[in-house]
Amino acid sequence: MAWIVPLVPLVGAAAVVMSRRRPHVAATVAVTAAATAAGAGWWAAATAATGTWRWGEGLRLELAVTGLAQVMVVLVPAVAVPVLAYAASAMRDDPGLVRLLALLQVFVAGMLQLVAAADLLTVLIAWEIVGACSWGLISHQWRDPTRPTAALHAFLTTRAADLGLLAAAAVALATTGSMRYDTLGELRGWPVHAVSVGILLAALAKSAQVPFSPWLFSAMAGPTSVSALLHSATMVAAGAYLLARTVPELGAAGWLPGAVVGFGLLSAVAGGLVATAQTDLKRALAASTTAQYGLMFVAVGSGSVAAAGAHLVTHAIFKSLLFLGAGIALHAAGSGYLGALRLGRALPFAAATFWVGALALAALPPLGAAWSKEEILSATVHRGAWVGAGVLLASLLSALYAGRLAVLAYGPGEPVAGERPTWPERAAVGALAATSVLLGVLWIPALGERVEALTGGDLAAGAAWELPVSLALIGAAAVAVRTLARRGHLLDLALGQRLTAFVAGWFGLSTLARVAVVDPVLALSRVLARFDDRVADAGVRAAARITEALSRSLSSWGERTFDGTVLGAARTLKAVAAGSWRFDDGPVDGFVRGTAAGTVLLASGSRRFDEGGVDGTVEGLARVTGVAGRRARQLQTGLSHHYYVIVAAGLVVAVAVIAFGR
Amino acid sequence: MLSAAIFVPVLAAVLLLVWPRLDERGARRVALLGTAVPLALMIVAWLRFDGDGGFELVESMSWIPSIGVSYRVGVDGLSLPLAAMSALLFLVAVAYPADLRGRPRQYFAAFLFLEGTSLGLFLALDLFLFYVFFDLGLVGMYFLIAVWGHGDSRRSALKFFIYTWAGSLAILLGIIGLALSADPVTFDMAELIRQQPLGADGLRAVLVFLAFGVGLAVKIPTVPFHTWLPPAHVDAPAPASAILAGVLLKMGTYGVVRIMLSMMPATFERFALPIGILAVVSIVYGALVALAQTDLKRMIAYSSINHMGYVILGVSAAAAAGAGDIDSRTLALSGATLEMVAHGLITGALFLITGSVFARGDTYEIDHFGGLASRAPLMTSAILVGSFASLGLPGLAGFVAEFQIFVGTFAVEPVLAAFGLLGIVITAAFFLRMVQRAFFGALPERWARWPDLGRSEGVGLAALLALVIVIGVAPSWVLDVIDAGTSVIVGP
Repeated sequence: MAWIVPLVPLVGAAAVVMSRRRPHVAATVAVTAAATAAGAGWWAAATAATGTWRWGEGLRLELAVTGLAQVMVVLVPAVAVPVLAYAASAMRDDPGLVRLLALLQVFVAGMLQLVAAADLLTVLIAWEIVGACSWGLISHQWRDPTRPTAALHAFLTTRAADLGLLAAAAVALATTGSMRYDTLGELRGWPVHAVSVGILLAALAKSAQVPFSPWLFSAMAGPTSVSALLHSATMVAAGAYLLARTVPELGAAGWLPGAVVGFGLLSAVAGGLVATAQTDLKRALAASTTAQYGLMFVAVGSGSVAAAGAHLVTHAIFKSLLFLGAGIALHAAGSGYLGALRLGRALPFAAATFWVGALALAALPPLGAAWSKEEILSATVHRGAWVGAGVLLASLLSALYAGRLAVLAYGPGEPVAGERPTWPERAAVGALAATSVLLGVLWIPALGERVEALTGGDLAAGAAWELPVSLALIGAAAVAVRTLARRGHLLDLALGQRLTAFVAGWFGLSTLARVAVVDPVLALSRVLARFDDRVADAGVRAAARITEALSRSLSSWGERTFDGTVLGAARTLKAVAAGSWRFDDGPVDGFVRGTAAGTVLLASGSRRFDEGGVDGTVEGLARVTGVAGRRARQLQTGLSHHYYVIVAAGLVVAVAVIAFGR
Repeated sequence: MLSAAIFVPVLAAVLLLVWPRLDERGARRVALLGTAVPLALMIVAWLRFDGDGGFELVESMSWIPSIGVSYRVGVDGLSLPLAAMSALLFLVAVAYPADLRGRPRQYFAAFLFLEGTSLGLFLALDLFLFYVFFDLGLVGMYFLIAVWGHGDSRRSALKFFIYTWAGSLAILLGIIGLALSADPVTFDMAELIRQQPLGADGLRAVLVFLAFGVGLAVKIPTVPFHTWLPPAHVDAPAPASAILAGVLLKMGTYGVVRIMLSMMPATFERFALPIGILAVVSIVYGALVALAQTDLKRMIAYSSINHMGYVILGVSAAAAAGAGDIDSRTLALSGATLEMVAHGLITGALFLITGSVFARGDTYEIDHFGGLASRAPLMTSAILVGSFASLGLPGLAGFVAEFQIFVGTFAVEPVLAAFGLLGIVITAAFFLRMVQRAFFGALPERWARWPDLGRSEGVGLAALLALVIVIGVAPSWVLDVIDAGTSVIVGP
């Protein structure tokens, strides 16, 4: 029955397509479907619903709404509701609106299957569907050729790493006969390492962790509403979510938690630096997504699925809020360049909501996002001092870039005469901001157990120094932002232009991927294509030339020996058959009638049998056949007679072998 | 009943040829009827199929008893899906608009004749009959390419014909060698499968195996025997391309499973690793060469080489002994069989679309197009579904097959499987790049009047692609039939 959950938005997508003639109806349908899906998700979580779909012998797809899935089945469609409402309003003049709304629904459906999956095959199917939807969503404005190219970059990066998940599922099934999460613990030996590497690879790419992070920048080519969903609860969340579900089961791969922490920490710090150096609002938010998911990776690797799950929820809310706010800013100012925004006075309501999101990103208590980040810190300090120090550095960076973004995007500035947000847009950001504030209830200690039950993990006991240190870091970041703003260096950070550009461009990772992977593959493919045209066929052509020479000498010999006996018979039969050839207007007729007149063909063709060479190599024979064909044209066009002769000769050989071979 | 599926199209072909006053509409009607009957018969056969192992619906007649040749047809889980897919693809291909060059009767006759021989090949239970149909099929395809093709079509057709026919001679030698090893001499497939007359070792077993291997490798084709395929595809009319890729290539892979794997499993086991390596080379090489193509049809042709590589990889995994248990070997072989069906539907649809593109644009050069999505949303949707299916997106038929193949291969040769995965990424790259270049971006002025798919194009493509989606979402009804055959082949 759990299949109802992903089916609801799928039906919603169909309904959206059906109401394509009236876009405002389609918009209402889309929002209603997402809300219904959230309700279905709630029901599935409350009843711990499961579902099975038979695939083939020994293969079944299974859903089980347990553990972290209980939260996700509600969160994913719930975030989709304001995003869809915003999209329908912001893109009301876009002729592709219906396509966008329908595809977003499929996107949500795929993500719902992904989070409810109980085995690697089910998750893999959803994983790829989400990836394909992202390709379609990013290339939404397909008339502009740069956007599909960006979409392809995003899709190929994630897809290449997805093969890790495919390999993991295949290895698990091949070695234990099961792909369920709860049987991953039975893996031993090389398969457990192969499965772990595969899952880690797929998760790193999907969550845009180092070294796969740059695809998120390409994903910016899509509409802002797509980013709002893709960065928050759908797509990017999948990597962290899958690790939260599988890492605890893969205990036999002892290196895995350390690797997850390592990649997560690296991404948290690197993403923080990129976000701080970026001068484009959406790209800065994209880099912060990498950084925040890095923190969740650290939590999962440190054994606290509960902290990771809680941060996944709080992040989903404030990140979709921030992206919608960015979309409103883009509409008003016409560009996302951070030097030309400062819309605080122009759009006060949007500014207020954006500031709520930014403060949540900075992890300022008493917002819920601050609580989940503190829990991550508590979980990691036990792993070692350097992990704790890394998380603190990442926290400092996130406070720094959050403050910088808030001031530059929605800080006080000159009112501009841009487009104002419509009421659905205001309602969308308002609802998300209110939710962000309400999540402050997470600070109530008594709710800790509830969080543990809903995420299927444990919370770590924190140390007394953690919160004061975090607050001090936020204070330091605030001072830094204020100082830089006073001196007019908040945009360029008073660092060298080249350095900030290098950092903001993901430390040259894109260029590295192009130089190290893409260009060599393309060059190799061109070399192989030339090889295929010239060399692979050359053996065939050489054999053909030899055959031609051989057949010429054979044919002169053949004329002398065979012709006398054969042609006599042939001429007689030809005269008999001549009448039937008169309306022979084409080769098809020819070959069909050829069957009937097989004797004639046998007679006349036996000469060409040796002429053509007994072997059938290609082009020399073709040329010889051309010559022979011209001579045979009084009989008919085409090759069939020739062919039948050889078949007949083959039969003679066969019979001879059978007769003498026994 | 199965014989009717073979001979109704052949009789329809004869009817078309001896009825000179038939106009194009009439000829088309006869052809549609002649291809609809076998499809209906295959559906009935599917419904009557029990799947309890062994051959069913057998019809036999004595033919040349002195050397053990008989006319014998029947189906099992391997041949039934292939024959049914072929029947559907023939109906769609015949209905698809094509440039008939003023010879409608001959065009449809060639198609019908080709259908009879193709179904005959899949349904034959006698090696001799198999060989006869194998060779007769070449003739039909030769004329379709040579007469109704474009470009240098005669030369391409001849290259196709002579190359694959040379391969078929090798197969003939193999058949004779195999049949003579049986005691008493017989061409009966079921009997040969039961007897397994050649052991694993011995020069004769290896020679016969190699003869089949080379002959079928040309037909499939695998690298390095593939050079006939791209020119044949490019110059063939689109419906013939669809049949060539969808049905004729399957004859090669079908032969590998039906003859080499079923009748010589011990020898196949010895050669499983080199064959697997050859398959991976085909996968990666085919994908890389496709990536460099600028010609839409050549690109799809090379993607066929890549996909046939998956089939052979799955078969070699099923043949390998050792690490894999029966389950994963059955999975691999069922995956390989489903890949044949899926590739037939998917690539058949893609080639038909190239025909529509050529009919409107008179070129296959991808970069000559652009922005077609604004004029032709249906055509864009069709090629998107086809492309995503071909690159193995879950929810579509190709993924089901490829997943099973990889499960089986990871059980036996994990390293080979890992290399094989590379092909999947490259496939995604060239298909989506093609869609983006030809269908996205700005619309050039000269295509401003580009028409979308017509009804006869749309209905046929919709049928094929709908089946691709149905199999992708709910594959169990096909897999159960296939498993009935493959578990017998793999089983002890």
